[in-house]
Amino acid sequence: MIRRRQAATAWLFLTPAVLFFTLLFFLPIGNQLLTGLYDADGVSFVGLGNFSRALSDPEVVHSFLITLLYAAGTLIVGTAVGLGLAVILNQALPGRTLFRSLLLIPYLTSVSIVGLLWRNILDPQVGILNRLLESLGLPGQTWLSTHPLATIVGITVWSGAGYTMVLFLAGLQGIPGLYYEAARIDGAGPWRRFFAITLPLLAPTTLFVSIIGLISTLQQFALPYIVTGGGPGNATSLYAHRLFIVAFNDNDFGYASALSVLLLIVVLVLSLAQLRIGDRANA
Amino acid sequence: MRERLFPGDRLAAYVVLGALGLVTVLPLLYMIVLALQSDAEVQSGDPVLWPAELQWSNFTRLFEAAPFGRFFVNSFVMAGAITVAHLIFDPLVGYVFAKMDFPGKRIAFVAVLSTLMVPFFVRMLPIYAIFANLGWIDSYQGLIVPFLMDAYGIFLMRQFIKPLPDELIEAARVDGAGEFRIYLRVILPQCKPAMAVLGLFTFVFQWNEFLWPLIATSRTEMRTLPIGLTLFNQEYFTQWNLTAAGALLLFVPTALFFVITQKFLVEGIALSGLK
Repeated sequence: MIRRRQAATAWLFLTPAVLFFTLLFFLPIGNQLLTGLYDADGVSFVGLGNFSRALSDPEVVHSFLITLLYAAGTLIVGTAVGLGLAVILNQALPGRTLFRSLLLIPYLTSVSIVGLLWRNILDPQVGILNRLLESLGLPGQTWLSTHPLATIVGITVWSGAGYTMVLFLAGLQGIPGLYYEAARIDGAGPWRRFFAITLPLLAPTTLFVSIIGLISTLQQFALPYIVTGGGPGNATSLYAHRLFIVAFNDNDFGYASALSVLLLIVVLVLSLAQLRIGDRANA
Repeated sequence: MRERLFPGDRLAAYVVLGALGLVTVLPLLYMIVLALQSDAEVQSGDPVLWPAELQWSNFTRLFEAAPFGRFFVNSFVMAGAITVAHLIFDPLVGYVFAKMDFPGKRIAFVAVLSTLMVPFFVRMLPIYAIFANLGWIDSYQGLIVPFLMDAYGIFLMRQFIKPLPDELIEAARVDGAGEFRIYLRVILPQCKPAMAVLGLFTFVFQWNEFLWPLIATSRTEMRTLPIGLTLFNQEYFTQWNLTAAGALLLFVPTALFFVITQKFLVEGIALSGLK
């Protein structure tokens, strides 16, 4: 009796959530799976046509490949910087709380500010970075026209390094200090200790950081949209930007839905991999 | 136990931290310098580190050049309403999953958590199509409704409520309190710290949100600040001083958030695992 009353109460309390997640998550996702099977007009059924079209569409294939490049660059550089910062800031240094927080500011700053600010700083005509390089006797660069993708990677790392650092700091807390004591007694130097203790024991954290980094870089839209508009040409038109153009410039919602379903599949596989790894790490 | 890299490592650590700290902070400080320059200075092609005369009037010119006041209000309404909705729904749902037993609980919880894996792009197009039919493009409800609650907040609140003692709930039930009253009077008052974290993070992330407001609005008066600023820059691309002034306006909540949360910022982010 009490149990049944509690069940009724529980579902009553959950009603807003059931409505919200059904109407704004599950029905839209189901709708995407269906819409992806139709032509731009939304009436002609094309089956898996949109999916095979995606695989042979040079614009889509290009956007996917540069997204992989962008993700790889961001992950490698971002992980190295974040890990380095975490190791340094895991020591008992006066002022480390301040440094930790300062390094997080770009992560909490609007992508509009980040994008516009760097566009100004990197501008070959009015930007200050080239002037700074020239005053140091280094040649100025046309950053966004010569190395657009690498520059976007750089800006991404600038804004995300603090967050990566926080995740690694949490991982470092889990390594018993005893290991370092023992290694020190055995005469292992600092680099030896880093490679023999810190790095292997951080492996689950590194994997976690890489997968959530991959999931978010695969969906990156705003930064290239603001900084380069996808250009020059389509050099920084990442997958999400291509999807946006197909949906809102070409008005081809069927095709865009198919592209979003492909994105969903990749992200789902990565998320499930992350869950399994997490289970194994906890077991 | 804090691992030290090598003896006498402090100097090296401070050199590295100092350099990276400057790389982090200088661009943001440069934004202030930029905002106070004259038109001639920003367009000269010879960037200045300190303006000859501080152009405070840029901040008033900004509001004359585009409806930045309106952008600010729109952003505030959107982020504020979403934050309030999260503070109403996330603890309630979190409480049900933390403390109640009912058939279907496991499935419901997994269903909620599974939404964490869904890229926004996947639900964006159908929601846009439905909202366009409802006439919700260029409306506040259109900006707000897709984000009324989320699995992060629900999970955070569940984790916080789970260790609270059951005896409190039992005692209130014996006293004849109704279920909603128990939640409101016994559980919710204990959740204040978690709700403070949830509210602050939700507000800042929604304030910064870019993709959905870009799509869900088309009229200038309905643009939020991040979108309004980006479009302003596309139109007045030589007026970097005004763009920087607008960027500072957009930065205000981040700065406030930073000051308020400074002590628990790092723990808060590690704990919530927010995006």
